[in-house]
Amino acid sequence: MTALPRSCLLTKEEIAKTLYRLACEVVEQHGKLNEVVLIGIHTRGVHLARRLRALIREREGIQLPLGILDITFYRDDLTAIGPKPVVRETKVDFDLQGKTVILVDDVLFTGRTVRAALDEIIDFGRPQRIELLVLVDRGHRELPVKADYVGKNIPTQRNAVVEVRVQEHDGADEVILKKR
Amino acid sequence: MNAKHEDEMIIRNATVVNADGEREADVWIRNGKIEAVGRGLTRPAAREVDARGKHLFPGFVDLHAHLRTPGREDEEDFASGSRAAAKGGFTTLFCMPNTEPAIDLEGIAWWVREEGRRVGLVDIYPVGSITRERKGKILTEFCALRHAGCRTLSDDGDSLADSLLMRRAFEYAKLADVLLVSHCEDAQLSQGNSMRESRISSRYGISAVPDIAESIIAARDIALAQYTGGRLHLAHVSSAKTVTLLRQARAAGVRVTAETCPHYLVFTVEDVEKSGFDSHYKVNPPLGTADDRAALRAALRDGILDCVATDHAPHSRIEKELPFEDAPFGINGLETAFSALYTHLVLTGACTLPQIIRSLSFAPAAVAGFTDRGAIAPGYTADLVLADLSRCWTVTEEEWCSKSVNTPFLSRKLSGVIECTWYRGRITYQEQRSG
Amino acid sequence: MLGIKALPREEIEAIFSLAKSFQEISTREVKKVPALRGKTLINLFFENSTRTRTSFELAAKRLSADVVNFSASSSSLAKGETIIDTVKNLEAYHPDIFVIRVGSSAALYALTQHTEASIVNAGDGRNEHPTQALLDMFTVSQQLGSCEKLKVLIVGDILHSRVARSNMFGFRKFASQIILCGPPSLVPFDCAEEGIRVEYDLDAAVESADVIIMLRVQQERQTSAFFPSLREYSKNYALTPRRLARARKDALVLHPGPVNWDVEIHSSLKWRVHPLILKQAENGLAVRMAVLFSVGTKKRTL
Repeated sequence: MTALPRSCLLTKEEIAKTLYRLACEVVEQHGKLNEVVLIGIHTRGVHLARRLRALIREREGIQLPLGILDITFYRDDLTAIGPKPVVRETKVDFDLQGKTVILVDDVLFTGRTVRAALDEIIDFGRPQRIELLVLVDRGHRELPVKADYVGKNIPTQRNAVVEVRVQEHDGADEVILKKR
Repeated sequence: MNAKHEDEMIIRNATVVNADGEREADVWIRNGKIEAVGRGLTRPAAREVDARGKHLFPGFVDLHAHLRTPGREDEEDFASGSRAAAKGGFTTLFCMPNTEPAIDLEGIAWWVREEGRRVGLVDIYPVGSITRERKGKILTEFCALRHAGCRTLSDDGDSLADSLLMRRAFEYAKLADVLLVSHCEDAQLSQGNSMRESRISSRYGISAVPDIAESIIAARDIALAQYTGGRLHLAHVSSAKTVTLLRQARAAGVRVTAETCPHYLVFTVEDVEKSGFDSHYKVNPPLGTADDRAALRAALRDGILDCVATDHAPHSRIEKELPFEDAPFGINGLETAFSALYTHLVLTGACTLPQIIRSLSFAPAAVAGFTDRGAIAPGYTADLVLADLSRCWTVTEEEWCSKSVNTPFLSRKLSGVIECTWYRGRITYQEQRSG
Repeated sequence: MLGIKALPREEIEAIFSLAKSFQEISTREVKKVPALRGKTLINLFFENSTRTRTSFELAAKRLSADVVNFSASSSSLAKGETIIDTVKNLEAYHPDIFVIRVGSSAALYALTQHTEASIVNAGDGRNEHPTQALLDMFTVSQQLGSCEKLKVLIVGDILHSRVARSNMFGFRKFASQIILCGPPSLVPFDCAEEGIRVEYDLDAAVESADVIIMLRVQQERQTSAFFPSLREYSKNYALTPRRLARARKDALVLHPGPVNWDVEIHSSLKWRVHPLILKQAENGLAVRMAVLFSVGTKKRTL
């Protein structure tokens, strides 16, 4: 297999800086933070959400509740991806009633994952508000979805692949672009 | 054309197969009889058939078929059954009395014989029932049935449970000169059965019957035949245990003959599993193990098992569409019997061609007491089968003659194509060749 | 899914892992995910079973599938319409999954060629009841960590039990030993294959068992003379405190339910065994969701 031509969009340092900036934005937006919860979307969204939580704790001394979401059962393309989707843990062990949920994912692309996540969150309860935080927005939306916090806007070709890699899961922090 | 020679025909250069071997010869037929067999017959006959490279067999005699008439003409009648028989190379056929009504009166037996004659494609003999309505209680009138053409009697479909009555039947059969054909099945042991009791039936929880359900009754009937000095013919032998009993009985001089069927020689209980429990493999007695099949093949080679009968048992498509356990027993066998045996026994080396012809023609004719059929020899009836053994055919519903298609051979390829069947010198089947 | 016999171990493990996810869903406020939205499931029961049918129905509904229950008595089949006819008729509605229970053994294999939909076996005669075995095994693996290398004792009417058959094949895929224990007249012919041992004496069989699966006694078997009396059956084959004491201390006791107390299990053991039997029912739902999810999301082969 020949490797796709690839280029680095964000380095480790840039990711750290961006996350810090995003954490600041969240704090600025919500002040006391006592009604704010984080929910990360499997897999890398969860790791990013954990880092955001740590950054906010360092800055504000507040530990935000953190939920984990696997959106497999809510996908609209279940039969197409077959035969055996991998289903991971979903864990939202706090009440969402009246809360502000900040949904965290690595890349915002078509918007379909976010759609599925919104449906799933609403099945857990009725939050006051849901906001979306992504590390990368690469465009090409297929649904009317817009992020509230964006790490970096990166215009891409439709068939390119944007891959966010995180230390915890992939052994390195970087965002890379692969062209087909 | 010379009118004098109208009924004359010479089949030239065929490989003539009899029970005792095969040789290339011409066969001269006149007035429905075989006049001469030999090389280079010079008699100028009206017609000549060039059969070079082809095989010629004596017409097959089926001691055991179900033509379902009277009663279930939707599954088979004399016309469709006769066509199927002719296509399969059969020229004599015994039809079993498990009809509605049963063949338990001379009138019904006469009617069967007459209806068969009216169709005129195969010599149909009724098998009378041993007991009235096949109920196992009162003997039928053996002499009257014999008079109406019943050479054999059977309560086929059921065993005669009453051993005393069976003893009486053996004794009385001597007076009427009829052969008792025993369907060996202990009805209690076989209760609810769908297949042979085996590891496979246990794995799938299928209600099953042990092989001894057959051999227990076979042993009883052999003992009764020996004790009374009567004649016994065992129908559709399916197990090694029964073969062992048969060997012992023959060695002891008991007057017992037996038949098995193509499906017991070809399939085993494993095929039932492989088919996904297709009810086309459901038959009574059920298909046995590989050991049973090996014992049956060996006995067929030895002539201990005299005959192969089809146990042709047509069933409607709907009935065979039922789940395996709910479907009726039976395999539709007339049209595939020879090719199945040729493909699975001769071509695999399990039997020789003369052994197969002995079991399909010579032996059953002898068992039924015929002296004019079962061989290709001067003086014999011109019941003949011409086959091309170099060709194959696929069993399809379109070219099927029987009214029912319940055969496990459906869609399978078989070797050995029957091209023509003569019954008393008359063509009763001729292969339609496209192109 | 027609049975455990042909189900590879990896697929069983995949079902268990899915079942774990589905257990969580049943604890949510909204006990439903849209995974099978727009799919149609037909519960086709030729034999009555409220429990199994309800479990499948609920499982399908929690996956947002549309469920139709179709009960046909076997007697109407005898009158002309075959199972194949019925399935073909329902096929006109383009269902995605048939969940079928039928009285005759191994009846479903021949059915697959007559439908585009997936078939899930909910019990076919005495052959298999795969989802019951999967839920038994899932329960065991949740309790003991795995189904690996266990001694599994199955007690009672083995001959007529599809639950026993499915479990016999299932547990052996995990290198577990099966011990069959019941009256000799209710143990199948020639069933001692590799990994299966037959033991008629329950006192001996129960020794060091990790899992004890008690089967339900069908009262009508008594009249067919498989055993002389219920009294003698219970004496020999009921699980009593004395017998249970011979097993491993933490031995799991399973029962497909409903239990005939004091016939199969002594009622003084109710406090000990009932919680796990109820857990089986709960797990049954998650396992059936997992099975429906995996057959329902499979790409159709055209």
